[in-house]
Order: sequence, then structure tokens, then C-alpha cells
Amino acid sequence: MDVSGTIGAFHGSPFVAGLAPSERRRLAALAVRRTAEPGDVLLHEDAPTTHLGIVVDGRVALRLQVPGRGSITVLTVEPGDVFGWSALVPPYRSTSTVVAVERTEAIVFDAVALRAALDEDDGLAASLYPRVLRSVARRLEATRMQLLDVFGREVDAAW
Amino acid sequence: MVTAAPPSFLPRAGLDRLIALLRDDGRRVIGPTVVDGAVAYEEIASTADLPLGWSDEQSPGRYRLVESPGPGRERAFGYTVGPASWKRYTFPPRVDIGRGRDADGTVTYEPVAPEPDALAFLGVRGCELAALRIQDRVLRDGPVADPDYVARRRAALVIAVECTVAASTCFCTSMGTGPEIARESADLVLTELDDGYLLRSGTDDGRRLEARLDPRPATDDEVAHARASVADVRRRIGDPVAVQGLPGRLQARLDHPRWAEIAERCLGCANCTLVCPTCFCTSVTQRSDLDSRDSVAVRGWDSCFSGDFAKVAGGSFRWRRQDRYRQWLTHKFSTWVDQFGAFGCVGCGRCVTWCPVGIDVREELAVIAPPAARRPLPMAAAAAPGDFTPARVERTWPETPDTTTLLLTDVDPAIAHGAPGQFVMVTRPGLPAVPISVSRYHPEGDAIELSIRAAGPATATLSSLAPGTPLGVRGPLGRGWPLEAAEGRDVIVVSGGIGLSPLRPAIDALLEDRPRYGTVRLYHGARTPNDRPHKDDLATWAARPDVEAGETVDRAGTGWTGPVGVVTHLFDAGRWDARDAVAFVCGPERMMQATVSTLEDRGLRPERIHVSMERHMECGIGLCGHCQLGRFFVCRDGPVFSRAELGDAFILEGV
Repeated sequence: MDVSGTIGAFHGSPFVAGLAPSERRRLAALAVRRTAEPGDVLLHEDAPTTHLGIVVDGRVALRLQVPGRGSITVLTVEPGDVFGWSALVPPYRSTSTVVAVERTEAIVFDAVALRAALDEDDGLAASLYPRVLRSVARRLEATRMQLLDVFGREVDAAW
Repeated sequence: MVTAAPPSFLPRAGLDRLIALLRDDGRRVIGPTVVDGAVAYEEIASTADLPLGWSDEQSPGRYRLVESPGPGRERAFGYTVGPASWKRYTFPPRVDIGRGRDADGTVTYEPVAPEPDALAFLGVRGCELAALRIQDRVLRDGPVADPDYVARRRAALVIAVECTVAASTCFCTSMGTGPEIARESADLVLTELDDGYLLRSGTDDGRRLEARLDPRPATDDEVAHARASVADVRRRIGDPVAVQGLPGRLQARLDHPRWAEIAERCLGCANCTLVCPTCFCTSVTQRSDLDSRDSVAVRGWDSCFSGDFAKVAGGSFRWRRQDRYRQWLTHKFSTWVDQFGAFGCVGCGRCVTWCPVGIDVREELAVIAPPAARRPLPMAAAAAPGDFTPARVERTWPETPDTTTLLLTDVDPAIAHGAPGQFVMVTRPGLPAVPISVSRYHPEGDAIELSIRAAGPATATLSSLAPGTPLGVRGPLGRGWPLEAAEGRDVIVVSGGIGLSPLRPAIDALLEDRPRYGTVRLYHGARTPNDRPHKDDLATWAARPDVEAGETVDRAGTGWTGPVGVVTHLFDAGRWDARDAVAFVCGPERMMQATVSTLEDRGLRPERIHVSMERHMECGIGLCGHCQLGRFFVCRDGPVFSRAELGDAFILEGV
């Protein structure tokens, strides 16, 4: 994928669908293409979140380290969805380790530059934050469902 | 208690004597007579005024009088009901109900005192007696007795006639109003035979009248013949309207698309309400002299089909024809029950016959509010609980840490030819019988697969049976996945955990007949990669080019490279059009709720989303009560239901 390919992927992403042309241009100026091979780590748990990313192709896993159980994948991010939302929320530290599990194409935004752009441009902020919030909310809802552990054994049946 | 007198017999010529006696008593006799090519109820002087030898042909939108064929040519009552009904006499189309006067600065109102003629109704049918009873409830025994109705009703003697013919539009049998007539429900009841009438009197007035006719006792043959003719009418009509639960079913379908479709045919002419023997909606108008000092309040029949019926200053609340048709039908078959404790319909079929475009309430009810599917129990094998057919464990293999699949052979062919989504009761001596969905059929080998999760002692024992072990099986039971509803449509199959097992035969059937269906999408969610049942099948299906498959797990180690998350994330954001698809969903109930809600958000109609419900099932024939779910028994009516038919039972806790 060349530069124009990155820009094409950026503009085709559902994440930016509906953004005003000026906002798109502003974001596109900050966008960097990132290719990751399986196993490549894009963000480290508890380390500063250096990037907000949009998966264009492939899959990344969000992993937590559990002493005695190793590295547990709690969620995967599929094309169209974001990783590194903590780049926008203090203290700007990653809540999980983000690892490519397939060859992955992503568009990433430098966290510091993105925050500066959002500080400067209220219109861009008003457009971008709800999109990130939507992703986080969908994730929160899913997490609650998983908390229920509906596939677990709930009763000891008499039969 | 007085024992009812046995029926008597009045020869044909006696009918004229009956009419003469009634007239001698000062009554106007109202009976059937032919007017403008139809049977009407008018004053008659003798049997010569009756439609002797006439019969009728009725179908939706059609009515014809024909000379009745066969030996019964001269019968007086060889037809069913025409457009007229007795409400014309008990509740006339226009009645003065009060007078108002403004004289010398004082306004006075006074009711009009009814002075009805003494009447005798001759030839009232079972459905029509029921209509009179309904009007009694509404107008006499309701919150305020209507003086005009009460007086007219009291002044009328009722002579009923049991039907010995049926029209194609009749459905008294469904509404419980006929064709049989209990003697207590009229003063006198006639049943017409070839050469006379069987008489039964139900009141003192009727008994006195019967005595004055001096009939001879009826023979056993005559009684039997009369019973057989009425029974034949019942048999011919059948039971075309499923009334059990109908009020609730209709209320749950106020947004059915059929209302709008009916409105495209309905002319809004109000014929149905005018010919209906129970419709009692009225409007009161004032008729005044020129200086408006004296006025008479005139009550006239109105109709919920008329454009102004629900009108207020700002417009009509039922401005569309579909609103008015729905109002009428739901009043008759649903809200009337709330209002008066009975249906507002007696099954006379007049609204069907006299609808100019032939709208048939029986058909509309079946489409809008179909009864819960009651599968005729198809069991060839071991119908009674406690009765099992033998089978043998051929082989077993683990699916997940707690789930084992048993391949059973030598099963009864009826079981091996079961339908996807059905289940069997399976047992071993000493163990309670356990309901298990069939997870694969091998009809050619008289074999089935059962995937059993070890949840308690019985399922744990079944899971650990050695090859060769005999066991007992009953089934196939219940209603499975409606594959026929999926033909020609895209199909979305969503399963969670071991919920894949009841869906596996449906997936087998979809893929075996792949061209019959549109895009097939299979989505499965499990707790961890290790908890995925039927792993080989999941891999095979995912590899097929003609299947869109997706899998996810709640959490995974680093060895899993597939999606991690909830199963709804596999299809909530897809860009494909889901609106015309059919969905089959099985898994833990909370997972099914989340899935159904996501599917509905994507535009699937609730009647096209099917779920398999798990409940404590024992008898398998809808009797023992363990598995009742609202108005359903999961073992008989399910376990597969559409989201629409389940209604609130799908989401309410503890139903």
C-alpha cells in the first residue's frame, strides 16, 4: 500500500464517514500508515499511549498480562474499529497491550499531535470525540455481557 | 328441578296453526320472507309468506337464493341467514329517545317512553339467539339499561329454529353459538324435518304455546334424525376460527402490516357493521322545529367505518381506513371481551357475505393473529411419557471439557427422520429422562447424534456411557427450525456455546440444499477456544466459499488468532442488507436477547427471527406443566419460536 493507498484507506474508513471535508483534511494531514506483522506490538499495557489507530485490514488483539496465566486476549479490534483510545483520555496510558495477530494495515495518529489538533479545533473535536466514544461504549457493553459469563455453568442441575 | 319434557312433533301443517295462534294473541309475527332476492325478516301472516322451498348460496361477497334441490323442496327454513337481523326490531335503525323543550325561559328534557308492539320472532337461528344475548348484555344488563331496548325485547316472543343447512360463510361452531340450540335459550325451539317439526319449549310461554298446538310425542327416530342433521351442519362448518387466546393475540398485532393491505381492498362502506347482528354503535342527532324550541333526540345506527365516527375538532383519530378496519375487528374479537366478557361476534358470516369485496374475517384473523402453532404430535415412537424405544450407544467423543457427543444407532426410524431443532427424551434405567436436542441426523443409518453437557448426575452418566450401552429414547418431540420460512431468503444463524448443537441439523439442511437459500451466514460465540463444540464442522463451514462464517470467543490465550469479543460484534457493523433475512438463534438466553436486539436493530422483522428456548421439559406433549412459557408449552409448541409469537415472554423475568 503506497501513500495514496493509505489516504484512500483513510477516506474509505467507516470511522471518518460523515466528517466534514475540512476535518478530514486536518486528520489526513496527521495520518500515518502503519503495517504490522503477526506478533508486532503496537502499544504496551500501562506505557504511554503513543498513537490512536484505526484498523484498515487485519486484526489486532488487546491483551492483558495475568500472573500465572500469561497473556490473555480480552478483545480483538477488527477493520473499521479503533485502538489506543487512551491517547485521548488522561493519563494517556494504554489499558492493554495491542498486538497484531494477522498482518495488519492501520492508520495511526501521533497522540501528542492529535491532542494538539483537537485542542485547537473545536469543530474537529466535536466530530471526533463521539466517534471514539461510540467505539468505547460498544466495547463497554460487550465487556458487561462477557462479565455475565453466560456460557459458564450457572446451576448444578438435578439431571 | 323440573325434568325437561321430551320433544314433541308438529306436522308440517301445524306451522300455520302456530302463526295463527300467535296472531290471535295479538302479536305481530316477524319471520323470514323473500324481499328483493334475499331472505329478510318482515311481518308474515301465514306460511305462504315464508321462503318455502328456497335455499341460499353464500360465499365472500356473494349471496344467491336458489330453489332448494332434493326432497326437502318445500322446507320453510332450508337456508341460513340473510342480510337482515333481528336487531332491526330490538334495536331499530332510528329511534326517538328524548325530547327537549325551551319554553318561557325554562329548558326541559324528557325521555321518550317506548310503546313497542307485541311481537313474535319466528325462525331465530343459534347464532342469532347468541346475538340477542350479546345485545342483552350490552343494552339491558350493561352499566345503564336502555329503556327502549328493554321494552322491545320484553315484548318479543322468540321461536328459534336449529339450522339443518350451512353456508360456506358460517362459523358459529368456532364462536360457540350454534348450530345446536339449547331449549332454555328460546321460548320455543323448532328443528325442521321432512314432514314437520321437532318442538322443544324453554319457557312457560313456550310450554303454553306448545300445549295449544297439541303436538304428538316425537319418535326416537325423529329425534335422532333431527340431531343428525344438526350434527352434520357442525361437521360441515368445521372450526375455521381459532378463538382460544384470540383477544390477546390481536392486541399483540396492532402493528401488523396486514391492516394496511386490507385497507387497500376495504371500501369503508360499513356494510359489515350494518348487517352485523351485534353492532350497536350509534350517534344521536337532534331533530328540531324551525325555531329550535322543540327538539327530538334521534338515535341512529352509526358505524366505526364512517369517516366522522372518531372525529374531533382537529380531525379524525382514525383517519386511515386501516385504522377503522382494525378498530372494528379488534372490538369484535378482543376489546369486546374486556368490555362485556364475551366476543362481539357470533359467527353468522353476514360480514363475509355482504362485504362487496369479499373480505373474510376468518382469513384476516388467521393472518393477523394466527394461533400458536399446534403441531399434531408426529411421534411414531413411544408416544406416552414413560414409554421409550431402545437405541444403542455406538461411539462417543468429547466436544468440550464438559460436553460429549453420543452417536446412537438402532434408533427408531421415526426418530432418525426427525426435523432440525427437535429433541428427544433419553434415559437409562435408574435415571430421570433428559431432554436433549438432536445435534445431527443420520436417517439412512437409523442413527442420531446427541451432544450432552454434563450438568448433573443424569447428564454426567449419559456423557460417560460406554460404546454398546443400550438406552431408551422418546421422540422426536417439539417444533424445530422453520427451514421453509428461509427458502429464497438470506439466512443468519447465530449460536452461542453448546447452543450450536440444536442448530447443527439446520445448518446441515441449509448446506445440503444450498441453492434454495440466499447468503448463508453462520456466527458462533464461545467462552474460550477450548469450549467450542463441533470444531471440525466449524472449520469445514468456514472453508466453504458459499458460506460467510465468523467465530468469536470471550477470551483467549495467545494461540487463538480469531476474533475475541461478543458474538454480536461479528454482525452488528456489517454493511450487508439484513432486512429480508431469516435468523435462527440458539444459546444462553441472555446471549439470545442481545442477538435478537442486534438483529432487530439491523432491520430483521421479529416474525423472521427464530429462537430455541430452554425450559424444564418432561412429558414432551404439553401437559405436565414444567415447561410452560406464557401461553406456550416449550416441549410441544417449541422449543423453536419466532420472536414475534413469544412477545413479552421472551424478555420478562420468571415467566
